[in-house]
Amino acid sequence: MADYIRVSTLNSLVKQVLAQCEPLNNLIVCGEISNFTRHYKSGHLYFTLKDETAAVKCVMFRDKARLLGFEPQNGMLVLAYGRATLYERDGAFQIYADFLRPFGAGAAQMAFDALKKKLETEGLFDPVHKRPLPSMPHCIGIVTSKTGAALQDVIQVISRRWPMVHLLLAPVSVQGLEAEPSIVAGIRALDADPRPDLILVTRGGGSKEDLWVFNSERIARAAYGCRKPVVSAVGHEIDYTILDYVADLRAPTPSAAAELCVPDQAQLRRQIYILGQNIQKNIQSRYQVWYNKLSMMMPERVLEHRKSVIFQNQAQIGQLQQALQRAMAVRVERCNMGLEKAAALAAGLNPYAVLARGYTLVCDEAGQLQTVKDLQPGQKIVVQGAGAHAACTVDEVRILQNNSEENADESTQKL
Amino acid sequence: MKAPKNFEEGLQRLQALLEQLQSEETPLAKSVKLYAEAAELIQYCNTTLNEAKLQIQEIDTTLAAQQKGEGPQ
Repeated sequence: MADYIRVSTLNSLVKQVLAQCEPLNNLIVCGEISNFTRHYKSGHLYFTLKDETAAVKCVMFRDKARLLGFEPQNGMLVLAYGRATLYERDGAFQIYADFLRPFGAGAAQMAFDALKKKLETEGLFDPVHKRPLPSMPHCIGIVTSKTGAALQDVIQVISRRWPMVHLLLAPVSVQGLEAEPSIVAGIRALDADPRPDLILVTRGGGSKEDLWVFNSERIARAAYGCRKPVVSAVGHEIDYTILDYVADLRAPTPSAAAELCVPDQAQLRRQIYILGQNIQKNIQSRYQVWYNKLSMMMPERVLEHRKSVIFQNQAQIGQLQQALQRAMAVRVERCNMGLEKAAALAAGLNPYAVLARGYTLVCDEAGQLQTVKDLQPGQKIVVQGAGAHAACTVDEVRILQNNSEENADESTQKL
Repeated sequence: MKAPKNFEEGLQRLQALLEQLQSEETPLAKSVKLYAEAAELIQYCNTTLNEAKLQIQEIDTTLAAQQKGEGPQ
């Protein structure tokens, strides 16, 4: 009877032989993913890696698969890190992958695009979920490497702009296999801690591979699940990561993030100064108003006011007086003129003026004017002429027939 | 004056004081009081800024991570 061995012995033997081949225990295989399945229950990944001429089965267990920063897909070119051995039960030669990394720019971009599209469809980037940052945070949680340049940049900027804030650092590793769970833990720890008002996830510049962990779906979901606003600042301006899309605010660099997270004390000092100035100006103008109101009621002011009223009245009286005087003068002048006229007329009618022309007046001894026909013989009379009186005695009174001027002359002449 | 609990509150109170002072209805005696309070608040805000010094603390993330659990997606 020929020597035979059992299948299990064969497979066990092959496995032992393979295990002795050192390169197989720690290798990196480059190939394209096909037949990719994620076991719905266990979470293990099963796929085939192939190139133009060959193919090999691959397994990636759940606890390793969880650490992947991207979603493996069929057609994606990857580097599989792990060991190759025989799965004894099926006699299948396969790779046990500990880590996968997209190989080549195209593949990495594909993984990135696929995850971005998936999360976008789920609404993780939706602007309605973006929360505003507090204008004056009291505490900022920082997820970053304790030794990195990013932390130094952030500390420097915040010390200058707003040193009143507290920084709560969640020291994480931002590179390598443990980076993803570490960052996720950091984000969750700071979100659970009551102190921080917002969370800053940051890392300084590096190669695309260095920053790749920030394209992790788990980090994206951790940030999305935060109750507090999340700010991301990974690498430089040109580096966009999945986290940047999920974060409430994306800053181009760690320094820029620090500037966006806190107010500027110089600006606030100016604001306080202006406020002070306004308050000063305001109270001064209010005092002025009150002072003016008060001084209007002071006795001096009241007296002054009364005085000015009196002055006004005085002036008015003066004007009236002048007007009255003018009116009086006009009136007097008019009377004078009337008087003169009357005087001239009166002078013309003066009976004594006639005496100058030789006429005489006949009066009795008492000075009463006498008409000649009433004289009695023997009566004493006075004949008045211009410049002289003559005392006479009437001899005879002759009554003339015709009452004429000649008779008067005759009688006078006879005297 | 009751000291504000932080800079932000101090600044808010300053702004509110200005509004009160601008109101025509604020009587003289009150405005004098408000003015004195404003001066103290400005002093407080400036002092707080001058004396502020950045404080940095660290948090242990491992504990929180364990509590949260690390289940698969």
